[in-house]
Amino acid sequence: MAIAREIAKNKYLYLLAVPGLLFLLVFAYVPMAGHLIAFKKYRLSDGLWGSKWVGFDNFKFFFMSSDWYTVTFNTIFLNGLFIVCGLGIALILAIFLNEIASRLYKKIAQSFIFMPYFISWLVVSMMVFAFLNTTDGILNRTLAANGLEPRNWYLMPGIWPAVLTIVYVWKFAGYYSIIFLAAIAGISGEYYESARIDGATRFQQIVHITIPLIRNVLIVLALLGVGRIFYGDFGMIYGIVGDTAPLYPTTDVIDTYSYRALRQLGDFSKSSAVILYQSVMGLVTIVIFNAVAKKIDPDSSLF
Amino acid sequence: MENSIPRVRTARAVKVRTDRSFTEKTFVVFLYAFTGLFALACFVPFWLVLINSFADESAIKRHGYQLLPKDFSLSAYQFVMHGKQVASSYFVSTTVTVAGTVLAVLVTSMYAYVLAHPKVKYRSALSFLTYFTMIFGAGLVGFYILIANWLHLKDTLWALILPYLLNPFFAFIMVSFFRTLPYEINEAATVDGANDLKIFFRIILPISKPVIATVGLFYALQYWNDFFLALMFIDDYKLHPLQMMIRQLISNINISAYVGGSQTVYNQPLPTYGVQLATVCLTIGPIVFLYPFIQKYFVKGITIGALKG
Repeated sequence: MAIAREIAKNKYLYLLAVPGLLFLLVFAYVPMAGHLIAFKKYRLSDGLWGSKWVGFDNFKFFFMSSDWYTVTFNTIFLNGLFIVCGLGIALILAIFLNEIASRLYKKIAQSFIFMPYFISWLVVSMMVFAFLNTTDGILNRTLAANGLEPRNWYLMPGIWPAVLTIVYVWKFAGYYSIIFLAAIAGISGEYYESARIDGATRFQQIVHITIPLIRNVLIVLALLGVGRIFYGDFGMIYGIVGDTAPLYPTTDVIDTYSYRALRQLGDFSKSSAVILYQSVMGLVTIVIFNAVAKKIDPDSSLF
Repeated sequence: MENSIPRVRTARAVKVRTDRSFTEKTFVVFLYAFTGLFALACFVPFWLVLINSFADESAIKRHGYQLLPKDFSLSAYQFVMHGKQVASSYFVSTTVTVAGTVLAVLVTSMYAYVLAHPKVKYRSALSFLTYFTMIFGAGLVGFYILIANWLHLKDTLWALILPYLLNPFFAFIMVSFFRTLPYEINEAATVDGANDLKIFFRIILPISKPVIATVGLFYALQYWNDFFLALMFIDDYKLHPLQMMIRQLISNINISAYVGGSQTVYNQPLPTYGVQLATVCLTIGPIVFLYPFIQKYFVKGITIGALKG
């Protein structure tokens, strides 16, 4: 009864943990039972436990349709674009901001760049709509003013990976550049001084000092992103694209697909199968990439 | 990560001024231009929303969205403020944000304190239990059935508050802070006869204000900006938070009935764009006003969070 003894000894400490533990149990572990529905034909009247087992039927339906390929591809492709462009631009911004001597300019620029992080996806969605809507959108008005043909952007799935990437960079470049700036601030000024004595230009200093010394931070952030590559950002995609069906071919991700299966089609079993597929793939990816992170930099592994 | 090397910043800032050659100067101009244009691009959408929420509806219809204000009209705000929806949405968002943040900070800090406490033998097991929820989710279906069918929280404010009470990521930010506190505090208080509850509430919480402010603001932002929970669990218009109101304005066919309450009749044409933009302004208003004061806490939180993985 070592456990009981330990708890009795520190009873007040364990008492402090009770609300948090209860929360994890109820809101994180109990709902894991929902994964069972993936193997059942769920009917509301029968409940989770009473519904009939159907083996892998729900998975069969999902994998036999072309949907699984589309949503998996979109999830990975969009997340890939977000990681590469998001981190890339944030890195450039951080390096450039760091090179700027005027403190006031730097502060103001940084404040503006960080601002989009604070607004919700629905507000972002409204802004995107203001730019792209067919009749009164800024883009179409500008095109028309220059004698060009306005287009119905909300019917053109091809451009949306680019649109979403731009929106992502716009919203998160500030966030990531803060991390990079913190890492750059940790670099000793002596490196730059001696480089200057040797006649290195600013650009050479960036390439040969700054970037190599914050490489690990970049790698860790990239790995964190890649580890979660199977999880689409529901708030972002559903907030911006919503129920605009013509855009599904390029924007529908696993999360929005399973949401619609659940809330709009009421197909609990299908939704559950899709989500279990996502959770398992997600777990496998993060375990693999954690091992990779450990190899590159033993301090940076996640667990 | 790279913190073993001490910071020597001032020396550098002075050195930067010594560049003379033409290419160096061009490069500096390019630095200013790139960061300046990016900052401008971040700012312009906010500006557009604000300016055009005061524009006349017919002007938007005729000329499109304006970059500079041509005329000034309060009709959109009048329309929104006359209705019942904005008041009830504001009430819902504020209640959820305040109650949620207070509860979440309390639950999270108590829990994190235990995870960080060297006396707790099972703290690594608890940490793993917490961490595992980050890498293997319960998923939408189980979560939906839990809230809707088992806890019967559909169309209640609890459905908007409870699910976010403990965010593992924020908990670990707090853990890393509590670990930096000297253990002697604990020993001295124990000698004086205080138990762990007293130590936590009377000593630890008061000296943890910086991290509480940081984590609290992250929670507040999450509660204020969330629409996922409302989308899933709130069908009753009266309980729609502001974000949900925006969503309804984007997709709703009958804006007049939604914003005004069904019995209201307007004989003027409806300022659709204006109503959308005015609601957006009212929603992001508090954030934008508080932004100068709260920015530094977020910067700190992001920096700690990133360095601890």
